[in-house]
Amino acid sequence: MLQAVSFGGLEFSPLVILFPIAFLMVAGTRFVLHKLHLRERIWKVAWFEVSLFFCYLAATVYLFGGR
Amino acid sequence: MVKFLRILVTLLFVLAAVLAGTWVWNDYMNSPWTQDGRVRADVITIAPDVSGWATELNVNNDQPVKKGQLLFRVDQKRYQAALAESEASAENEKYMWELAKHKYERRRQLTENNAISQEDLETARINTKVAEANYKLAQAELETAKINLQRTEVYAPEAGDIINLNLRQGNYVSRGSSVLAIVKADSFYVTGYFEETKIPLIHLGQKAKITLMSGGKAITGHVVSIGRAIANTNTQSNNQLLPQVQQTFNWVRLAQRIPVDIKLDPLPSGVRLSAGMTASIHLTER
Repeated sequence: MLQAVSFGGLEFSPLVILFPIAFLMVAGTRFVLHKLHLRERIWKVAWFEVSLFFCYLAATVYLFGGR
Repeated sequence: MVKFLRILVTLLFVLAAVLAGTWVWNDYMNSPWTQDGRVRADVITIAPDVSGWATELNVNNDQPVKKGQLLFRVDQKRYQAALAESEASAENEKYMWELAKHKYERRRQLTENNAISQEDLETARINTKVAEANYKLAQAELETAKINLQRTEVYAPEAGDIINLNLRQGNYVSRGSSVLAIVKADSFYVTGYFEETKIPLIHLGQKAKITLMSGGKAITGHVVSIGRAIANTNTQSNNQLLPQVQQTFNWVRLAQRIPVDIKLDPLPSGVRLSAGMTASIHLTER
């Protein structure tokens, strides 16, 4: 979060990288839950996945934010 | 029971998401960091103090120079001649003064015998003073001629690196026109342009972590000054002296950016700075 991402001479906000990482992590979790047949048992699965995305985003910001 | 657990798990994740989202927002919006940082340095522009042809050029572009090193020399012939002229003029005025003094002394003795009038004596005294003043004027001109001759040699006022050397041997250089610049050695600093909303979070002495766009190790420093003013476009006037007020959207305001200077700690090995480089700056929140 606190470190800019430089690519090809352009400098991007770090969120440009961290958002897709969090999204991929959600997709991975969703795949695993689906394989384990746990996804069907979650109450309001959309709420769960959106919440998970924010949790993953905060985690990526904390871990990869260059702090 | 199972249904309760299912609901509880989702609600816990929603709660965690709210907390995580709040933390991310605060971290992004309310912490003192900026991507808008630039490396800067003290730049000294070198201009000759006398005009003439550059007869000798001792430096190349981007060359490091030491303090006091000869950079270039302006043709000295005219200034040597001017010095000789001033020396002769000063000598002439010196003898004129001595002659005037001599005449005055002579007339003073004649006055004692009432051989000349008081007026003649007074004229002689004043002539002595005029000759003295002329001598001092000639001496001052001689000093100027010496300074001009000395300044045909241009030396580096500080150690650093030559930048933008437009001078070539044989060019005519004019008094006061810059011909090269020196980036003062070890004078690099970073200016971060922070949004005005983040200024309350910034204080003098605050530690900074700086990441260059070129990557590599982060460099550190501390805040040494926070800008006290930036230009206001609304204060400009047109040719009828009417204020040129900029129109803005009613709902959206862009935060102004305030320059904050950061003095760098000793650089890690392998880091090469050039003034103008782009940097991201993160200040500690303590």
